[in-house]
Amino acid sequence: MKNLTLFVILAFLLPVTVSAQQMGPVTGDAENGALLFYQHGCYGCHGYSGYGRQDLNNTGSAILTNEVIFRAYLRGRQNVAPLLPSTAMPNYPANVLNDELVSNIYAYIRSMPENLPESDEVATLRAILESAQEPYTP
Amino acid sequence: MSNSEDKSNDKSNPESPKVGRRGFLKGAAAGAAAIAVTPAANAQSPSSYETTLSAPTYQQIERDTGMITAPSPDRSVLRPGSDLIVQALKDMGIEFVASNNGSSFEGIQESIANYGSPPNYMPEFITCLHEETSVDMANGYGKAEGKPMCAMLHGTIGIQHAAMAIYQAFYSGTPMLLIAGRDDGFIQAHTANDMAAMVRPFTKWDAQPKTLPECLDALHEAYRQAMTPPTGPVLVVIDMEIQKEEARDMVVPAFQPPVIDGIDVATARDIAQSLLDANNPRINVGQLRTPEGVAAAVKLAEVVGASTSTSATQGPMSFPQRHPLCGPGADTNNDFVLGLESESPNISLFRPTVESLTQSRDDMGVGFGGMRTNVPASGRGAPRQRPGTVMSIDAEGSIPVITGEAMRLISANQKSKIEARKANHASANQSAYVAALKEAVAEKKKGWDLSPVSTARIYAELWPLIKDEDWCLASPSNFSGGHHRQLWSHNKPYSYLGGQGAAGMGYGAGACGGAALAARGRNRMVVNVQTDGDMNYTPGVLWSAAHHQLPMLTVMHNNRAWHQELMFIQYLAGVRGRGTDRAHIGTTLRDPFIDYAKMAEAYGMAGEGPIEDPTLLAAALKRGVESVKNGEPYMIDVVTQPR
Repeated sequence: MKNLTLFVILAFLLPVTVSAQQMGPVTGDAENGALLFYQHGCYGCHGYSGYGRQDLNNTGSAILTNEVIFRAYLRGRQNVAPLLPSTAMPNYPANVLNDELVSNIYAYIRSMPENLPESDEVATLRAILESAQEPYTP
Repeated sequence: MSNSEDKSNDKSNPESPKVGRRGFLKGAAAGAAAIAVTPAANAQSPSSYETTLSAPTYQQIERDTGMITAPSPDRSVLRPGSDLIVQALKDMGIEFVASNNGSSFEGIQESIANYGSPPNYMPEFITCLHEETSVDMANGYGKAEGKPMCAMLHGTIGIQHAAMAIYQAFYSGTPMLLIAGRDDGFIQAHTANDMAAMVRPFTKWDAQPKTLPECLDALHEAYRQAMTPPTGPVLVVIDMEIQKEEARDMVVPAFQPPVIDGIDVATARDIAQSLLDANNPRINVGQLRTPEGVAAAVKLAEVVGASTSTSATQGPMSFPQRHPLCGPGADTNNDFVLGLESESPNISLFRPTVESLTQSRDDMGVGFGGMRTNVPASGRGAPRQRPGTVMSIDAEGSIPVITGEAMRLISANQKSKIEARKANHASANQSAYVAALKEAVAEKKKGWDLSPVSTARIYAELWPLIKDEDWCLASPSNFSGGHHRQLWSHNKPYSYLGGQGAAGMGYGAGACGGAALAARGRNRMVVNVQTDGDMNYTPGVLWSAAHHQLPMLTVMHNNRAWHQELMFIQYLAGVRGRGTDRAHIGTTLRDPFIDYAKMAEAYGMAGEGPIEDPTLLAAALKRGVESVKNGEPYMIDVVTQPR
């Protein structure tokens, strides 16, 4: 457990990334996970589909490597509130989200669609990039 | 009477029908009698109700008309004091007076409506549904134009309604003229001995004149105080007696605009010489006061060939973002940096801010945070040590002096070097801009096609539609991702008007309304990316915008929550080990959802939504822009990702 905690801490602190091939299996219920993702307000920082103030998609975060690490990360968050308000990641002890529910949320996160169109394929984004070539007019 | 005083106040056109009060009452009585006799005259009337009517008695008519004694045929006041007050506002160039009507300033309101040719113009009375909106409008206008608009408040109750918005304007240092009516003989709860005391700690200056001449002087001084650093809101309390007294041949004194001191010539010469002697000078430009100040900064940078930084993506009145000299420049190793309302390792000029007024204004010792001298060493608003030599002097007032000295000192050899340097900077800054934009687009396209709509997509879809228009983003953008900072080009002094001032909610819609007032006569349009929490404080702004046909496109950033607070509660519940599934209590706007398109419709504003499908967004925005260009404000409700 000690080693796992250390790994989680390192995964959080270091820019470690994992490829899709390195990801562990999914055992939970993604549909229920989506409901939990909404009920527990995960969307607040991560968006309804994994894009937000803190992205979940396309990050290659080591925290999402497998269910065990993900669960350890949720359990190992800070559990002493500072005096000043914070929007940091909350703590999720087992009495709040048991292992099964964590697996369900993990399954939902893993099911999130990637949505990164090529800029050239989107007319709006193309127009924005082209506007950079327009001369400055006072 | 001032030279510019309007003399076309007389409505006694012999051709126009005259109906005096006595005539009106007489007519009303006759009308009542006519109705009463109708049943008798028309026995075939199908209405059984009418047959029950009988002619009113003289006493009934007297009662119904309020026992009013007819006035003298002559007007009791030929030249009311309030006409002179309005003339003073005209002389100072006050375009608008925003107000929720109140009896304590009825003299001034009547004069705005009827005095002048045309009446209700310069200033125009802007009808607001809440005093907070009136002041927020003045805030938005003041930020956009760098000069005061007027908000008029009704006695003690109006001042208290307005207090929050005044507080925000004070922190922003926005120049604005507040007038509060005072009527000591009417409703006692609406008056006070010292009305301004309620907001004194967060206004720059106030006066409660005792006579009409004092009042006219006070208005002039109020304008000068509002515009002179530290700029901020000022308040003049005007008694009803002053508004209604007969002014006879009293003269409105000529208005003397403020003279704002800049740097002394000797120091300006030293700075100019340093800029000219440097191989690679730089000018960091923060928030100046007026569009003229921005133009002056551009001229200085061009004369000395300095690369510049800008705060135009953070707030108004700074260097144009796409100016060829704005950016990192060809060489970031600068050997002399001048800060204009911005930090510098060498020399910076900062005007005094409202915090410097604390000692003189906070006579109750409230100690508002951010204005205290004993501020905690940490947290938002804590003081920080500025690097280099800091001069407490208005940068805007100093720039022309520095430029003048530079133009006088510059040699032919320096001119040639400067031209070459400017070309290098222009090329490097363009490359840097393109690279930054590419990076931004790659970031902002995340979740492009997902529903609810990403906030980045709102700003992205807006840009191609407005980039060739004269636009002003008047809504604070911190809570909606601030995506314009990376995607849009902020080249005008009013491109982005910045935050709320005191980070209080309820500011956005009103400020956008004020910016739209400034925009209306200037072929400009205002964009309001409106957070839903903020909207619900003063939704009546929508009616004011529709009524006054303000060029304002409102795009709801409808995340159905006070989202910042939701995240705070989530974290606190989480670290207390209680789970986050109840954090929505008190922080969300659900059960039921609010329909903002219907809200707009109820206030008479065209609109559509809610839009949850991002593919429908661009067409809706296009309709909105077209509507606004045609003079009609428009609202699009977009259900969005949280941020």
